[in-house]
Amino acid sequence: MEALLTATASDYSPQMVALNKPEIMDEADWIARAQRSDTRAFESLYRMHVDKVYGLCLRMTGNVSEAEDCAQEAFIQAWNKLDRFRGDSAFATWLHRIAVNAVLGRMRKSKREQDRIQVAMETLSSPASIADTGELRDLSDAVDRLPEGARHVFVLFSVYGYSHDEASKMLGIAPGTSKAQLHRARRLLAQQLKTEGFEV
Amino acid sequence: MSQIDRDDKLITAASALSTEISPEQDLWPGIAEAIARPQRSRWIPVFAQAAAVVLLIGASSSLTYFAVKDQQQIIEVVPSGLVFEQASFGGRYALGVDYQEARGDLAAQLDVELARLSPEAREEVELNLSMIRGAIAQINEAMKDAPDNALLQELLVQTYREELALMQRVGGLTQHVMSRKDI
Repeated sequence: MEALLTATASDYSPQMVALNKPEIMDEADWIARAQRSDTRAFESLYRMHVDKVYGLCLRMTGNVSEAEDCAQEAFIQAWNKLDRFRGDSAFATWLHRIAVNAVLGRMRKSKREQDRIQVAMETLSSPASIADTGELRDLSDAVDRLPEGARHVFVLFSVYGYSHDEASKMLGIAPGTSKAQLHRARRLLAQQLKTEGFEV
Repeated sequence: MSQIDRDDKLITAASALSTEISPEQDLWPGIAEAIARPQRSRWIPVFAQAAAVVLLIGASSSLTYFAVKDQQQIIEVVPSGLVFEQASFGGRYALGVDYQEARGDLAAQLDVELARLSPEAREEVELNLSMIRGAIAQINEAMKDAPDNALLQELLVQTYREELALMQRVGGLTQHVMSRKDI
């Protein structure tokens, strides 16, 4: 204890100089710092990934308010679980998994509310389609009108490029179910787009 | 256009949809508030586990206390001359031979040890043993209807332990301590 009390600023100067250097941090550095409960580092990670997480939430829920809540919940969960992130997968993928869980958890909780939103959405333009242009906007609208299970698989597989194995693990379903839901999604999308006179 | 071509075109088009969309409002303030509220700490699960253990022990102790307390009210205390019965475990299970022998040895020498005590101390020991044995009888009776009731089993084991501990304190004769393996 006495040694600590008698230590002078010069004893710590090498570290202080190092910290004062302009920092060029990469994602791994931010993660390491956030894992040491540095909220500013975590905010940097949030800024890096919020569009990816929010985009996924919006595609999966088709609702701005729900997507915002899910994205917030995903980042809060990520903060709480950050010490378990070992870098086995990319940080973005890890966040995606958490975001999918947040969406599924929220939908399970408010199933009735979701149904209401689903009905209301049929008459509205897709909020996610704002990010798209031309024919893609029509496709985006059609994706949002898909039934929940088919939409989730289609978004993860076709939009985000996850394999059936990955998508099924994220959604907690069998790979066969994932394939069946994708087939259903394609069929429904083709019908919808044809009805509306669009050629995909 | 064939079904396969249409599917391929659909997948190609879907892969061109935006994967990154900016939220209309900054979500960080809400996140910052949530993560600042409870400080992120790893001791919470440990604390929760410890609390659960304490709760379990507390509940178990309370049950034992109230069971014994109830026995105290309904059991007629034998004023002198203790009744020693073979230890049983609800009818379906038998107690281990080692435990039975240790208990038998202790009980056999208990009279000798009791004779060495003052009348007041002897009366107190006899009163306590009567209460414990009354409780054992009551729990055994209850276990005839529910031989696999884990709570009753645990309560009976605990009560036998108390009996053994009391006899040990009087005689200091054996080191055998009953465990669930003795059942």
